[in-house]
Amino acid sequence: MIEAKYESALANRSEPSNASILIREMNGRGMIDVRGAAADRKFLAAMKSVLGFDLPKVPRSSATWGDVRALWLSTDQWLITCNGTKADELSAALVAALGGLHSLVVNVSDMRAVIRLEGEGVRETVMKGTSIDLTDGDYPPGTVRRMRFAEIAALLHIVEDNVIEIYVFRSYADYVWEFLLKAARKGSEVRLFGNRG
Amino acid sequence: MGGLFYSESEDKEMTGKPYRLAASGSHIDRSKRLSFQFDGREVSGFAGDTLASAVLAQGQKLFGRSFKYHRPRGVVGLGSEEMNALVGVGTGGHLEPNLRATQVEVFNGLVAQSQNRWPSLTFDVGAINSKVSRFIPGGFYYKTFMWPQSFWKHVYEPFIRRAAGLGKAASEPDPDSYEHMHVHVDVLVVGGGLAGLTAAEAAAASGARVMLVDENPLLGGIADLTAGKVGVMYIVDHALAAAARLQSLPNVHVLCRSTVVGHYAHNYLMACERVADHDPSLLAAGAPRHRLWKIRAAQVILATGALERPIAFANNDRPGIMLASAVSGLLARQAVAMGSNGIVFTNNDNAYLTALALKKAGVGVRVVDSRLRSDGALVQRSLAEGIDVSFGSVISAVEGSQGVRAAKIAAYRKGQGRVITEKKVYCDFIAMSGGWNPVLHLWCHNGGKIKFDTVLASFRPDKHSDAIAAIGAANGTMTVSETLAEAHMAGEAAAKAVKPKAKAAKFKLPVVEEPKSAALEPLWFAPATGKYNEGNKHFIDFQNDVTVADLELAQREGYESVEHTKRYTTFGMATDQGKTSNINGLGVLSEATGKTIPEIGITTFRPPYTPYSFGSIAGALTGNLFLPVRRTPIFDWHVERGAVFEPVGQWRRAYTYPGAGEDKHASITREILSVRNKVGLLDASTLGKIEIKGPDAAEFLDRVYTNMFSTLKVGKCRYGLMMNELGFLTDDGVTVRLADDHFLMHTTSGGADRIAAHLEEWLQTEWTQYKVFVTPVTEQWAQFAIAGPKARDVMAKLDPDFDLSNEAFPHMSFKVGKLGGYPVRVFRISFSGEQSYEVATPANLGRGLWEAVLDAGTEFGIEPYGTEALHVLRAEKGYIVVGDETDGTTTPIDVGLESLVSKKKADFLGKRSLEQSYLKGPNRKQLVGLLTEDPIEVLPDGAYAVRVVKDKPPMEMIGQVTSTYMSPTLGRSIAMALIENGRSRMGETLSFPLEGGKVVKAKITDTVFYDKDGGRIHD
Repeated sequence: MIEAKYESALANRSEPSNASILIREMNGRGMIDVRGAAADRKFLAAMKSVLGFDLPKVPRSSATWGDVRALWLSTDQWLITCNGTKADELSAALVAALGGLHSLVVNVSDMRAVIRLEGEGVRETVMKGTSIDLTDGDYPPGTVRRMRFAEIAALLHIVEDNVIEIYVFRSYADYVWEFLLKAARKGSEVRLFGNRG
Repeated sequence: MGGLFYSESEDKEMTGKPYRLAASGSHIDRSKRLSFQFDGREVSGFAGDTLASAVLAQGQKLFGRSFKYHRPRGVVGLGSEEMNALVGVGTGGHLEPNLRATQVEVFNGLVAQSQNRWPSLTFDVGAINSKVSRFIPGGFYYKTFMWPQSFWKHVYEPFIRRAAGLGKAASEPDPDSYEHMHVHVDVLVVGGGLAGLTAAEAAAASGARVMLVDENPLLGGIADLTAGKVGVMYIVDHALAAAARLQSLPNVHVLCRSTVVGHYAHNYLMACERVADHDPSLLAAGAPRHRLWKIRAAQVILATGALERPIAFANNDRPGIMLASAVSGLLARQAVAMGSNGIVFTNNDNAYLTALALKKAGVGVRVVDSRLRSDGALVQRSLAEGIDVSFGSVISAVEGSQGVRAAKIAAYRKGQGRVITEKKVYCDFIAMSGGWNPVLHLWCHNGGKIKFDTVLASFRPDKHSDAIAAIGAANGTMTVSETLAEAHMAGEAAAKAVKPKAKAAKFKLPVVEEPKSAALEPLWFAPATGKYNEGNKHFIDFQNDVTVADLELAQREGYESVEHTKRYTTFGMATDQGKTSNINGLGVLSEATGKTIPEIGITTFRPPYTPYSFGSIAGALTGNLFLPVRRTPIFDWHVERGAVFEPVGQWRRAYTYPGAGEDKHASITREILSVRNKVGLLDASTLGKIEIKGPDAAEFLDRVYTNMFSTLKVGKCRYGLMMNELGFLTDDGVTVRLADDHFLMHTTSGGADRIAAHLEEWLQTEWTQYKVFVTPVTEQWAQFAIAGPKARDVMAKLDPDFDLSNEAFPHMSFKVGKLGGYPVRVFRISFSGEQSYEVATPANLGRGLWEAVLDAGTEFGIEPYGTEALHVLRAEKGYIVVGDETDGTTTPIDVGLESLVSKKKADFLGKRSLEQSYLKGPNRKQLVGLLTEDPIEVLPDGAYAVRVVKDKPPMEMIGQVTSTYMSPTLGRSIAMALIENGRSRMGETLSFPLEGGKVVKAKITDTVFYDKDGGRIHD
């Protein structure tokens, strides 16, 4: 029998050697797109029964429990992330728990590439490609939002103060990777306001 | 006097005159000698020199030739207002033209060229224009180059482009990198002079996030050229102390060498930071050459200062005639004297500072003042120090062409137009000052109103609807004490607007000691020796070579509106943007018309304030980042296989795979025959895929498709047509029913995003009662078509356990399962007319499965095929492509798919429109097949069929070719076309006249050229 061979979007990219921050692809992440009405209590309860925590209802927020995380995407859409090996199982559990409730659960683990940026200056690096103000107090860890990044649509997740994950559709992974290599190039660092040190 | 000069042997050799003084020079470091090239000549200077100061220190005053008359020109200004000394810096792809020599910082190895001279700076062929200048008045180009029209392209335009024009662009790609940076600030202060520093400090005290942007390498503006004291400190020391405090604050960001080039609505501003222009080693270390800042500011404080006005006197453009502030600046900052014997020509007190500075430096100086008297402190001090002042006088003539040799001083009373008495004095430079103009550019870019101030004889800021304040000289506030108070208040107010609860720091206005000034007297025109405007031009706009006479002529010719005068004479245009020319020009127009300056109005200030590089505008988005390219999971394989790509939206799809020694035509033919005779493999991952689920999903699909989907059985596929509300085809594709309430829709590759948005829009805005969720999943799946008579064999080889029998898996059905270790969805659908399986697997497994299919297919002769083969295969079968066979005005009935337009459904998008008389009426264009009389003749795409062929157009057109190919399967050409009443013309022969008189004839046929009964699909 033929064995399945896995190859992430950026599998052939080597670790950047000339970047002022850490840039790497988070391959193997499970991603499940969930649609349901935030006002539907039964839907929320069913989701909680599987996830163990409430779906975040505040715009641009996220919730985490262990290695499972829920990113708010819109008033009726969330992205659940988990270990990739558990995505099928978790999707099935969600579908089962939701039963006949109006909802749509799709395992989209392969649909996006996730690029993680770590280190001093990640926020400024991202601000070379987006007009949103990541130095503002409105962007604490946990913040999730969609943005225009360079020339494409991307999903931004602030994991920690100096850790940001960017989700892009898989086909754009190369483009974003190249942009980030350029924006994070050593010698081109920008430190805003008090971060000049 | 010689003892006062710093003696440099090469200076003496070069010029015989020492221009670099021994004392002072606050910006230069004499321990750091630098060497650079100007016009191919080695020039030496010091760290802290500008290109202008270093070259002037050598005694060279000539920097370029003027735009129209090619007159010799030198440095006039202190900084960004410089309009003459424009240079190109760098070589090859690094070349940047039109930089102001007064702003270019020199470094070892700098290479710069003067502009607008041919063949050399000192001998210029174009200077003949100057001799015939009485024949080149304002509007000359308009008058001369109008007729005959055919001459424009080949004679006039090349002539003008070579003769005129500023610097040349680089002819090679720019190897440097550039980038953009976004920033949001509470308070943006533009200008780092005394006013800006004071305001920034006041704003920062409340904790507001303050950004201070200044175009110069050093903060302080012209504090070093300003007389007086704040408390016990000199103005400049006071300013520098404030700058140092600001630099250390955590809530302040200071950007130097950064020009705010534009100020747009809602306080959005752009600043170009010249990161590495002054130090190429930064480039090597990875810095971008320029960084374009996109600044969004809650509050903007404009402390952009003021620019000194030239005076319109005869031959005021000679090298060695400069603004008084430029003379002072060169003296104080780089210890450069413009000569040994100068004249300060002024109508105000401020220029006496220059006279005093020159005197102190040991340079000979006299003052010519157009006013009858002044009791100002600086004037009295000059008199007390023994400086010769001629009141009630103007300069009426200048002798010398590439420099100043002498000047004539004439007695003058306000408004006097002719010279009555004059005397000649020898001098080698002239410092002129006609007063100061607040820099209003940024204020006006963003819609600010301005008003005329008779004391300044200039415009100053008036009203504004955005959160903007102008302070200091930019606001027409010309004293230090008023500036400090105004700047502090503006800073505090801006901070308070952003942070209403923050407490303002206590502020006590320091004691300011500054010379009291008498009023200036406007001087728009100084009468000249001899006949007016003959050999004695009074320049208003130096950069565009516009004189007082040109402006007056424009008035006489009826160009009454100042905007018309601007365009006719070119005054205030180009990079100058009116910086030095504006008010003087208006003054001239005022005197010529008898109207006041406010009645004349002012021309528009347009961004950019000074030119900035195309590189910074493009930022990082060049080369491989110029356009986002979407890659399928199989992209790298296609590249390795040598595929030729074609763009499909932002996707790059494999068009064909030419083998060794094969051209594209050969490889496409091979790929097609492989599918017809054996089996082929196509990367169809780009197909749009949308999951649709909910209790109303089936009814929803019935409404968005023309045909019925509620009757589709679970496990089955159906081809659907989609119309917009107008009844025109907008997309098509196969939709499958995954479960009772769950569908998977396929769209065209280009339509994926558009259709998903279309579905969401109808759900969210019109059919809000439907419980349906729509989730696009295009990129979750890698999807391939395995097509051809051996397709089933390949599938069986991949996984013998997958039941592929026609009974278990007929055409238009699908299965979810596994092919070996690969989880798949397999659809038995065909766009080629062959037995065909479309296999989808999660994208990250795509490349693995692709290679596994090729391995399994080797023994059956499998070959990958590209999008061109795909198109020919479908055309042979008469399958339409939305966008080829349709053009946005084509209905399903037009393309012969009436059977797919439901008669049973109550309603669906476009249904009502199909009932419109013009869509139901006769003579619509209908899709038909075409077979050319000559089977190897391939009709061009888009060729028109005409009712009657005539010798030449116009001919009545009755339709056009929509798809046309050489069919290797049939060994002849085939085409489809939309032809008026096409379906009732079967068998008719149509004529297609082509370019060059050729007429191709083709017979109308059915659209299905191959396997008309469709048996192969079901094999």
